[in-house]
Parts: sequence; C-alpha cells; structure tokens
Amino acid sequence: MESKRRILIVACLLVLPFSLLWATPEVESPGETDEGTVLNAYSIWPENWATPMFEEFEKATGIHVNFMRFSSGEALARVIAEKDNPQVDVLFGGPVETFGAGAREGVFEAYKPPAYDQLEDRFKDADGYWTAIADDPLCFMSNREWLEASNIEAPTSWDDILGPEYEDMIQFADARTSGTAVTRIFSILEVNDRDEDAAFDYMRRLKPNVQLYTKSGGGGTIPVGLGQAGMGIFFIVDALKTQQAGYDVVISFPEEGIATAAEGIAILKGAEHPGLARQLIDWATTDQMQKFYEEYAINFIPTDPGVEIQQTLADALAGANIFPIDAEYSGANRQRIVEKWISDVLQE
Amino acid sequence: MPVVARIKKKSDTFGNLIEDPALLLSVVVIWAFLGLFVIWPLAKILFMAFSDAGRLSLTGVGAILSKKYTWVAARNSILLGALVGFCGTALGFFFAFTAVRANLSKGWSRLLDWVIILPLISPPFTMAITIIFSFGPRGLITHDLLGMDHFRVYGMWSTLFAETITYFPIAYITLKGILAGIDPTVEDMAFSLGSSRWQVFRKVTLPLSTPGLANSFLLLFAASLADFATPLILAGNRFPVLPTEAFLQITGLFDLKGGAVLSSVLLVPSFTVFLLQRYWVARRNYVTITGKSGSQTKFKSVGNITKYFFLLICVLTALFILYFYVLLLYASLVDAFGAGNQRITLNNYRMILTSGRMAIADTLLIAYVGMLLGCLFGVVVGYITAKKKYFSRKLMEFVAMINYALPGTIVGIAFLITFNNRPLVLTGTALIIILCNVSKYGAYGIRSTVAILQQIHPSIEEASQSLGATSTLTFRRITIPLILPGLFSGLGVVFIRSMTAISATIFLVSLNWTLITVRILENMTELHLGVAAAFSVFVVVVVFVVTTGISFFLKMLRQPGGMRVTSLFGS
Repeated sequence: MESKRRILIVACLLVLPFSLLWATPEVESPGETDEGTVLNAYSIWPENWATPMFEEFEKATGIHVNFMRFSSGEALARVIAEKDNPQVDVLFGGPVETFGAGAREGVFEAYKPPAYDQLEDRFKDADGYWTAIADDPLCFMSNREWLEASNIEAPTSWDDILGPEYEDMIQFADARTSGTAVTRIFSILEVNDRDEDAAFDYMRRLKPNVQLYTKSGGGGTIPVGLGQAGMGIFFIVDALKTQQAGYDVVISFPEEGIATAAEGIAILKGAEHPGLARQLIDWATTDQMQKFYEEYAINFIPTDPGVEIQQTLADALAGANIFPIDAEYSGANRQRIVEKWISDVLQE
Repeated sequence: MPVVARIKKKSDTFGNLIEDPALLLSVVVIWAFLGLFVIWPLAKILFMAFSDAGRLSLTGVGAILSKKYTWVAARNSILLGALVGFCGTALGFFFAFTAVRANLSKGWSRLLDWVIILPLISPPFTMAITIIFSFGPRGLITHDLLGMDHFRVYGMWSTLFAETITYFPIAYITLKGILAGIDPTVEDMAFSLGSSRWQVFRKVTLPLSTPGLANSFLLLFAASLADFATPLILAGNRFPVLPTEAFLQITGLFDLKGGAVLSSVLLVPSFTVFLLQRYWVARRNYVTITGKSGSQTKFKSVGNITKYFFLLICVLTALFILYFYVLLLYASLVDAFGAGNQRITLNNYRMILTSGRMAIADTLLIAYVGMLLGCLFGVVVGYITAKKKYFSRKLMEFVAMINYALPGTIVGIAFLITFNNRPLVLTGTALIIILCNVSKYGAYGIRSTVAILQQIHPSIEEASQSLGATSTLTFRRITIPLILPGLFSGLGVVFIRSMTAISATIFLVSLNWTLITVRILENMTELHLGVAAAFSVFVVVVVFVVTTGISFFLKMLRQPGGMRVTSLFGS
C-alpha cells in the first residue's frame, strides 16, 4: 500500500541517525606505543595559532592532538576541577601565572624536557612542573584616527590613560576569564612596587574610562581597530596581529614599564597519555616548533635561544621597558588578587 | 451557538490509570524522565546554593546577596527582560496583525515570513556583532552614514535592541497562530452590530489575543533572562546582568557554588513570570475551531490606507533585518572586517569545513536526535495531559514546562552539577546535551500540541464516534491529522533550538562533543569575526534547508482532511 510504504521510508530515515550515535568510532586507534597516537589538550592559545602548531606536530611525529580552546582562567578552573579525573593530557599555552597557580594546586606532573637546561630561569619551573614555549609582553594599543581626532599622542605612561579623553573609550579583558587581564593587574602591582592599596586605587580610578571588560584577552583588539574603543592593553601578539590584519593602530609602551608573561606548557597529573605529552613538550620547547612562529606570523618571542626573534616584533619592542612576571609571586597570589579585583574594582 | 466557551474539566482520578495500562505505562515513563532530568537537577542546584559542606546553610547565598552588585545585576536583568518582552511582543503583534488581518497577497506574506524567520534560525549573538559594526563611534550607520562621532554602543539600549530584534519572531509566530485561529465571523458580527474598526480591534480582537500576548511576553522574558551572550558582547561595563555574571562565574572561575547561587537568584523572577502566565492564561481557554464555521470571509478589520501603512513599516523592519544579514554574509567573506580594503575570500568557509568539521558533525547529529526525541516527548506529554484524565496530570503538565520556562543558564548549570558525579555521570557525552535539549525544548511540542487540542472542539471527535468509528479509528483519522501541525512546529522548533541555542549547552560541551554555537561564541570573543560569521551563515542555511525538508517529508504523511500546513511554524 502506498501510504504504508511512505511511512516505512520516513521511519527508516528517522531511525537511521541513531545508529550513528552509537557507532561513533573511538578516535583512538592502537599505534606503535600503548598510548596510541591521539593526545588530548586544553589550549589557551586561540585556535588559529594552536591549529597550525598541532598540525606541524602531527606531520613531525604522527601524533594527532585533539584540543579544546579556553581562556586561561577557564582552562585553569577546569583542570583544577577535573584534578581527580583529568580529561586531557596537556595544558598548552597561556601565561605563566596560570601555570604557577596550577603547580600550587598540584595538577601538573613534573617533566624536564631536553631543552630544559638551555632555557632561561624565568622560562621554567624550578621543579619542572611547567616549561615555557614563548614569551609575550603586554603593550598599549590605540586607534590612530581616534588619537588624532582627540588631539593626543599615543599613551606612554600608565597615568596618561587616566585622562578625560579616555573616558569610556578603553577596552581590556575581564580577570575572571582572561590571563591577559591577570598579567595586566600584576603589571600594575609591579609598577606600584607591589603596594596593593596604591595599585587597586589606580584601577578604581581607571574604571570610569573602561567601556567594556572583554571575556578574552584579545577581545578588545578589533573594537580598537575599528575605533569603537580608543585604546586597550593587550599582549603584543594580539596587537601585532590586529595591525597586520590592516587595522590602523598604534602600539606604545608605558615608561614605568609593563610586564611580559612567558607562555607555558605542562603535563597533567594522571594524564592518560603521558608519553605522547612528553613528546609534545620536547617538540614545543625547541626550535622544532618555535621556528614556525615566523612562518605562521605568530608574534611570540621564542624561548629557544637558537631561534631568532622576528624583525617586525623586534622593531615593535625596540626601546620598551619590559619586565618579567615573577611566576612564584604571581602564582601564589593569583586567586586572591583576582578575587580582590572582582570585589574591589569590578563590582565596586 | 456559543463560539467562545470554557473547556469543561473532568476530574483526574487514580482509577483512570488502573483501568488503562497503556496510559499507566506512559505516565510512569514520563514521570521517570521528568524526575531525573527536571526535578533532580533543580533540587541539586538549590541544595548547592543553600548548603555548606552537606548541611543546610545560608552563608553562600548571604554572601552574594549582601553585595550591592548582585542586586544591580538582578534589577538590570528584570528590567531588560520586561522591556524585551514588551517591545518584542508589540513588534510581533504588529507583524502578526499585518500578516493575518491585512489581506496580504501570498507573495508579501511569504516574504515577511521568510525574513522574520532569519533571526529565529540564527545563533543568538549574530545580531550583537552586527550591531557593534553598525553603531558606535565608528559604526557603519552612526558614523559613516549619519556622521555621529560619540555614539555609545555599549549599554542597555543596544542590548535591548539586539534582543528585541532577535526574539520578536517568537512573538510573531505565537500571535500569528492565535490571530489566525480567531474566527473572522466573530469580527463580522461586531461589524454588523455597528462597531468601528478600532472598537472591533479593542473589544474583540485584542481580548481574544490576550492569552497569546501573555504567552509571548513570557517567552520573550525567559529568552532574555537566558541570554548571556548578547549582554556579554553589548552590555558593557555599566550594565551587568545576572545570566552573564553567572556564566562568567562558572566558566571563568569554575565556581559552581557561586554560579548556583546566582542562578537561584535568577530563578525567582523567571519562576514568578512562569506562574503568573500559567494562572493568567489558564483562565482564558478560547475554543474557536468548532468544525462548523469553515467559511473564510474576507477580513474587514484593516482599511486600505492602514494596510499599506502597516505593510510599509513591516517592510522597512524586514529590510533592516536583511541589512544585518547581508553584513553578516559580507563579514564571512573577508579576512578582516572593517580594515582597509578587503578582498573577497573563502578562507573562513575553508576554516569551518576543516577545523570546524567536528563541531558541525556533532551539532547536526545532536540536533537531529534531539529533534526526534524532543518531538516524541512533546506530543505524547501534550496529548495525554490535554486529552486524558488521570492522577497527577496537572502536576505533570507543570513539571514538564519547568526546564523550558527556566533560563538556559540555570538548566545548564544544574545539569553540569548533577551529572558530573555518581550515580549518573553524563558529562562528556552527547547524551547530556541531547537530554538537556529534550527536557527543555520538548516543551515546544507540548505547547503546540496542547494549544491545538484545546482549539479542537470535543464535538468533532464525538461526531466521529457517534457515526460508529472506534476510538482508535477516531484517534487515527481525526485526532492525529488535527495535531499534525503541532508535530510540525514541535519538530522544527526543537531542531532550530538545538542548532542555535547556547545558554544551557555551553556548560555541557566536552572534548568529544562540541557545538557550532560554542565555536561561534569562542570565535566571536576571540574576534575571529570572519570565522564566526561563516559558522553563523552555515547554521542559518542548514536550519533553513533542514526545516524545509522536514515539512516536505511530513507532508507525505498528511491524512486527507487534516489541516493544511503551509509553514513549519504552525499556523
């Protein structure tokens, strides 16, 4: 009967996809080692940088990296929450204060890759809980057209941006989710000699000039590029990307100094594939990965002394007063400072 | 003949269940589902908010409630929700009235339908991002077109604008169904008694639409209370709202308890409106399909000049919506929107089809399975609660609507808290996302099934039975064809929601199962606007194609004599 056949066809169409649901193959297939060839990671680097790096890694080693991207605050919160039952093997990228805080929570497995000894001290944890794969200073980034229309020069001091021209024109990140924001707050603490009262007083005075605290560190770059906002404080890697994409922005640095945060990598304690994770760390801490920064126009400073810094990046940084973030101090105080920022600045 | 009559309620007894084993089985299964995926998570989130180390305690709630900031955020959320509810319902009613009452030609009404559906089938924050481009100190409209230099885009007004444009189609669909269901002869009677058009509108049309208006207000209020993404992008520093704060508390700090407390605060306004609406609408069940009228007289309620005036406003609004989507399409075709000279490229689409392939496959599968289960759930619950009488019926109807009425952030957080630990670990699976969608959006199926069943006068079924048909035959030949439109709109809406919703599911994605909307938000906050735009365009196209496909396939099943279904969205 015609109508019965129709019903049958439709029924088949309806039921078919359910089989897919159960048939979804395990991503993992047995390879030469017991651990297979698939590694799981949380990446703090945005996808368009993490993807080419992981593809190069797969080309070099045959290991596929399955990853999910999170802002550093989110990633840190997740690995702490999943401590007893880690969902991934590696935490990839993100400022060292995140890794310092993670090491204090005991979520990482110590591992010293072959490149460990040639790394500067600030690029590695003394106990090997994390190592650095890149260095990334903060900078001021302003919209050129807006600067000209407001008749001001690009800011060269932390005090410049307190000015009335900046009212409601600054965008930068929210410390609840973003490591960029945390590095910014530690910069302010350092230029105030770690005097928390002075630093938080400065942040409160700056607040009327802030238009939006963005969820992610680079969230304000395009609004600044478009002129929706006048200026923001970003990692140089995001600022240069904005400039190279064709937005007319000016990069400047405060004379009092601004922090640079090394970008880390670490194995999670209890990881399912520690061997593969070690291979990724071995690869990422040397020129094997870091030589690709230039090729993919990722404006990080390599930590491997054998890899040259890209010319555009070197030019942008010339003459800037940049100091490193102390992983020990920032890792120990991260949670308290973020909470203080939420209650005393954001929600004040 | 009374055209407007209250539906008569028989008593719900336990005896009915014992007599009918099939009914008993359905009721038990439905209660098991509701208990596991509605009551338990809700109890768990409340317990988490009101406990400390396993004991009842008010310290957590107290700490957050003593902050002025929480109250500011709560006030902002309620204000925003109410304004979105009001403006969206007004705009939706305006459109629905024009579409149903202005005797538009087929072409016009199809065009309106088509454009209005766009915001409904898009990921929720597409509007937010195009607004950023269009307004503000350097926006395409405010600066380039109007020459304004200091227009402030961040704040309540832009958030209100974005949410109104995004959600008013819900009001349109709800109200269009209601207006179309009002028998034109009712209005004719008023006219023949000498009423003016305005009087007819005020005394007949508007009162008959009140349940629809209330319903639509609730839907929009809830949609706004659940939307954390639009305020995240548009609200700025000075207009914090609860859903966004709860979202940041959870994702940023993984502070489940803090998120639970903020959600519980959010629970108060959403539950209040939910109860209000049930109480209000429940007293206004209008039966308008009697099976006797059938005549399609021409509507007289709108004059010619008014008609063209209404049409003009609708077309202008529609053009405005189209403008946003053209902008979105353009953004998906360039590398860096708004920066100097850009050439057209397909890079963004290449990106979503390579590195976004997994998200696309996962989303389609989850949406498909969720659609079928959600629809089955909706129609079964809708049918037995509207047509059968049994013990616990009213409570079931109520509980089945809870997840739907609650903001997605609460449901998502509740699922995360509940199914993260034993005895039932579901985090990291596709199932948790599907179950969340079914428990939440299955309610669309319930709602449309119940609404249609309420509009079918019992005498139609009685007539069939008095002509000698068995109750099975009556069900198959009369009831099923009549509730098919409910099935249609249920299927369509569950699929659309599964494809586009984010507020609940963002808490449930994992390394193995991710969703397009989550990737869009991720790309948007990272400002890879091209990729975000390409994903959005992809979602719009897929939803459009699939929903059209469903209505085609289901039309094959239509029984002769059933209601004509022209659109997937009922009516």
